[in-house]
Amino acid sequence: MEGNIAAGLAIGLGAIGPGIGLGIAVSKAMEALGRNPDAAGQIFVPYILGIALTEAIGIYALVIGLLLIFVA
Amino acid sequence: MPEEEGGSLIHVSIKAEPLFHIGPFEFTNSMVGALLASIVLLLAAWYITRRSALVPARVQSLLELPIEWMTGIIAGSSTRWKGYVALILGFFLMILVANWIGLLPGVGTVGLLHEDHGETVLIPFIRPASADLNFTLGLAIVAFGVFVWWGIRVNGAAGYLKELVGEPRYMAPLMFPIHLISELSRLISLSMRLFGNVFAGEVLLATMVALAPIVVPAVFLGLEAVFGFVQALVFSLLAMTYITLSIAEHHAGGPGHENGHEGEHEEHPNVEQHPTDAASVQVQPQS
Repeated sequence: MEGNIAAGLAIGLGAIGPGIGLGIAVSKAMEALGRNPDAAGQIFVPYILGIALTEAIGIYALVIGLLLIFVA
Repeated sequence: MPEEEGGSLIHVSIKAEPLFHIGPFEFTNSMVGALLASIVLLLAAWYITRRSALVPARVQSLLELPIEWMTGIIAGSSTRWKGYVALILGFFLMILVANWIGLLPGVGTVGLLHEDHGETVLIPFIRPASADLNFTLGLAIVAFGVFVWWGIRVNGAAGYLKELVGEPRYMAPLMFPIHLISELSRLISLSMRLFGNVFAGEVLLATMVALAPIVVPAVFLGLEAVFGFVQALVFSLLAMTYITLSIAEHHAGGPGHENGHEGEHEEHPNVEQHPTDAASVQVQPQS
């Protein structure tokens, strides 16, 4: 039971930071795209990489949550 | 399944369940997924090489589309892209097919009923290979080995160690463990990212099917199709970036050398194997 509460807290709190970070990253990418639509090809790869690295932190929280439910 | 038994409505297993045993080895359902993905890729490769035409027909151009698009991205990463383009393309196609196999109907729902601690659970025949940590960790270990190998090949073993030690030599006791951990954390984050995303996607789909089995899962299936593509792209692009970084660490001599060095590549393809030659060809103030 405590494990389930801890897992919920872990993923819930752990999703705050990546959520804010992803929002900033996407908004900046869209801003750049709006200013210069021709740069879409050049923005794409660094954008995907930045998204992936930001999202990894949320995935860490998910892994901790899964560990709390299934292993502990 | 009866709803009174808590947790049996949505059965989630974090590790792949064994289907049968061959000697001491377990044959798990994620192995079936991996085999299926390999077979799909082999059949596509067989088809495309058997009937390839210079002017591609509809099916051929559909199969060539991801390869050409991905090759375009990889070719822009560094001048030595031909050394790793096959590996990155292999990662991309394998993960893409493995992810999308999880979206086929019947993949998580058709299986054997199995008695486990008094309650009956369903062991599906097929589990998407990338929802198994063994598969993603295996891919990440290959990527890790390759980018360390490229770093050693381009900079030499001493140069690679020097990169790990860091620039001010007296900071080595502090920086060496940090650099070592950051190298190893790439291994963890590569494998965990793929596994976490695909596994969470499977759990999300199972939950949605259990909660609202009529229209709602279709929305999430579409979402998961996009995520499967993005995760395959992310894994292969990150592996590509790590390889590019370990190649480019050679250029860290100074900010002004970058352009001159790039020009040298075209004329002397093997310049990088001999750092001393490169130093003598270039007019460097200090080497």
